[in-house]
Amino acid sequence: MIFHRLKVGFHRLGSPPTFHKLCRVLSPWLWAGFLLCAAIGLYYALYVVPPDYQQGDSYRILFIHVPAAWQAMASYVIMAILAAIALIWRIRTVEIMTMAAAPVGAAFTALCLATGSLWGKPMWGTWWAWDARLTSMLVLLFIYLGIMGLYAAFEDRRKGARVACILVLVGLVNIPLIHFSVEWWTTLHQGATIRLLGESRMHPSMLPPLIWMTIGVKLMFGAAMLDRARNDLLEQDRRKNWIRQLIGESA
Amino acid sequence: MIPELDYAFYVWTSYGLFAVIMVWQFIQPRLRRRRILAELREELALQSGNYDDPNA
Amino acid sequence: MIAQMSALLKRDLRLALRHGGESLMPLIFLFAVIILVPLGVGPGPNLLASIAPGMVWVAALLASLLALEQLFRPDLEDGTLEQWWVGATSPMALVVTRLFSHWLITGVPVIVFAPLAAEMLYLPDRALGTLMLTLLIGTPILSLVGGLASALTLGTNRGSVLLSILVFPMVVPVLIFSTGGITAAAEGFSARAHLGLLAALLILAVTLVPLATTAALRLNIE
Repeated sequence: MIFHRLKVGFHRLGSPPTFHKLCRVLSPWLWAGFLLCAAIGLYYALYVVPPDYQQGDSYRILFIHVPAAWQAMASYVIMAILAAIALIWRIRTVEIMTMAAAPVGAAFTALCLATGSLWGKPMWGTWWAWDARLTSMLVLLFIYLGIMGLYAAFEDRRKGARVACILVLVGLVNIPLIHFSVEWWTTLHQGATIRLLGESRMHPSMLPPLIWMTIGVKLMFGAAMLDRARNDLLEQDRRKNWIRQLIGESA
Repeated sequence: MIPELDYAFYVWTSYGLFAVIMVWQFIQPRLRRRRILAELREELALQSGNYDDPNA
Repeated sequence: MIAQMSALLKRDLRLALRHGGESLMPLIFLFAVIILVPLGVGPGPNLLASIAPGMVWVAALLASLLALEQLFRPDLEDGTLEQWWVGATSPMALVVTRLFSHWLITGVPVIVFAPLAAEMLYLPDRALGTLMLTLLIGTPILSLVGGLASALTLGTNRGSVLLSILVFPMVVPVLIFSTGGITAAAEGFSARAHLGLLAALLILAVTLVPLATTAALRLNIE
């Protein structure tokens, strides 16, 4: 019975009007949740947590950097799962959602790289180091950009989405390979590498801000993805009846 | 805020970037949505206007 | 099936030979890089020897990118590609054949002339064998990955820039293991681990890329 209802719900999501409505209802709640979590997280990160005895206050950057890095990777995994669903069941709304996930993931990757660089300058004395994690993040950014570029290059949006979904899945195989090879490469070329997170063990007081920020950022990813998916759907279905009705109602 | 924040420039730039990107992710879809809706309304109005008055 | 595959292979090779100038492009490109970089960084044997593995490999990589734009496009434009799905031969077999001919045309010339390039860059003699092995295992991966990217961008108008952006992340591991192996060999260490990993990458690419390429082509001709 429950399984049946889930199945029906899943199929209903494939209907553009239902999906559109879901995005509209869900997005404000997710944004509100993000604001709440981020407020708590930032309060901890900037007020409660004491300065580190080795790194001073600069390690507070990590409360942005680490959640951004996690979300950059989590976004890819979510995008790949969506891509698999989109390709197997050929659900258009899921294709649109997959493509909406890419720019948000790219934003987190860019944020991770920028904050990593900002952390590196005072800590390592340089804006950029060929550290394994930084390098594979940079490659990940290019993968995201490639997916977005491929999707945008097609005139037929639907075809573009499906071809880009294949690329998303190819990337899923590729990312671990890239990460592993880059890690090997840095140990080969540089001997002992500088560690991104420092060797000092994490103090328990650092945990709450990290957790709150991570949850917040996840909610924000969902919200931003749904917002973008809703727009794409609106643009693609502009000649369809349900959109006309929708605009008629709101006008 | 925090009395003696070392590395203030780096820390605040990071948090600032975070804020900017989050705000951008919030605003950009809304701006785009407004643009699309405006376009669609115009299209719709044009069409329905034609239906109302064939001489126009 | 074998007959069709060999017919396609013969046709591709004949076309490449008749367009003699075009099929020499990868080689000319390889040597352009090999000549320009010493002019840029100076002729010091130590410096050149240390960057030789990377240079040969980057040149091989860029050379393989040259022909990719035209890998499937002419067939798409004259309708041949659609016939691949109509005929009795499995499209994947034809895709594999096409990728193989791309390797023969762009990869093999680079492999043949790599010793010359290595000599010009003062690569130590003991690393030459490893260089050849990495090229032998690695250039097919370049053709496979490039073919996939070419199939993905087939339906777009501005393929070439996009093509390089798609290929670049996918070849990172190949570049790392190849040049790492050659450097290890040049320094007198064993390159077996690198070569083994490279071979694993080749096996992975041979298994997965034809599937993805066929799927991408199919979407593009729909």
